[in-house]
Amino acid sequence: MVIVMEKHSTESNIEHVVAELTTRGFDVHRSTGSEHTVLGVVGHVDTIDPREFELMEGVQEVVRISEPYKLSSRTFRREKTVVKARGVEIGGHDVVVMAGPCTIENEHQLFETARRVAKAGARVLRGGAYKPRTSPYAFQGMGVEGLKLLRAAGDQFNLATVSEVMEISQIEGMLPYVDILQVGARNMQNFNLLSALGQIRKPILLKRGMSATIQEWLLASEYIMSGGNYEVILCERGIRTFETYTRNTLDISAIPVIDKLSHLPIIADPSHAVGRRDKVMPLARAIVAAGADGLLIEVHHDPEKAVCDGPQSLYPDQFTRLMDELRIIVPAVGRRL
Amino acid sequence: MVDRDDAENDLTRLRDAIDRVDEVLVRLLNQRAKYAVEIGELKGHLGLPIYAPDREKQVLQHVEATSAGPLETAAMRRLFERIIDETRRVEREASSHQ
Repeated sequence: MVIVMEKHSTESNIEHVVAELTTRGFDVHRSTGSEHTVLGVVGHVDTIDPREFELMEGVQEVVRISEPYKLSSRTFRREKTVVKARGVEIGGHDVVVMAGPCTIENEHQLFETARRVAKAGARVLRGGAYKPRTSPYAFQGMGVEGLKLLRAAGDQFNLATVSEVMEISQIEGMLPYVDILQVGARNMQNFNLLSALGQIRKPILLKRGMSATIQEWLLASEYIMSGGNYEVILCERGIRTFETYTRNTLDISAIPVIDKLSHLPIIADPSHAVGRRDKVMPLARAIVAAGADGLLIEVHHDPEKAVCDGPQSLYPDQFTRLMDELRIIVPAVGRRL
Repeated sequence: MVDRDDAENDLTRLRDAIDRVDEVLVRLLNQRAKYAVEIGELKGHLGLPIYAPDREKQVLQHVEATSAGPLETAAMRRLFERIIDETRRVEREASSHQ
């Protein structure tokens, strides 16, 4: 932590701050500049509330150098975490594509979609069984029956499975069927849910909240990791901006930023970010080119008839074409598909 | 024109001289730290605060008055601020072992 004193702070202002820090057992490195005096604070500064010092006379600002997130930070672990889900490695050399319908509707829809995405090269099958819908009157999902279909389709086409968990009571029932539990954007700061997920030993895919900063997102992952579950995959899915043409604005820059700050795998979901099928493919290409460890894409065997999010779901043919394009881009960034 | 070989010899000679000065500086800094350990123990014994701003001011004024250059007063002050920072730490550790 660094405390920058005001231009005209007096010697007694500075002495007061140094005395307070020393009394609390911190080492202070004083540097008297021609205008500002800067105090470097050394020790376990996590225990300090910066506001206390900001309010002291003569203090201009208090800057935290160390990040508030620990377990997810690169400082804590230099080498990248590789999350393993049913033999699929996320965060390793391979770029992993997760694809499937927004919602599990019926056996035919899920198996047909699974067959097509597996053939095109997807490694993980996505499908929602509990759906957080904006309207309480919209289809709420098939529940456990849907998860059984997801498992069966995954087994048949050799795909790992990912599905969203909405609340603590669903966790146990999902474990037999799901290889990766997804926390949706709306639940990113549902700290009770995150803590409960920290107690299990299964990979968690943590989506970024639509208004969450990168720091808040990493702190959310900290809730899971501090419980002992280190298998966390981060997923960028677009943030709220002033732009209304797209549903959300995909924050591509989050991919290299996360890669620098954290050792956790980072993937992105272009489908929810843009909300329109015709824009999903270019974004998917950009995500992979930016260095993401994977993609989460909505594919439906018959999007026109989809119960949920049809307009953002790719046709299987489009998905196959996208995978062909990605096979050209991925080697250019030193990865494999 | 200075001969290139001469200049290179001078550079080596001056760098050696700096190394020898550093050796003396290190010895003196450690001697200074030993006094600080004793002061820290005394402060711990007497229950006095480690941070003594008036004394730090005295030290800096004394150093500035003693310095004849070519290091500027401000530069000398900055160097001694760091020495004092480390001394404070040494004193704190010595006092807490009391």
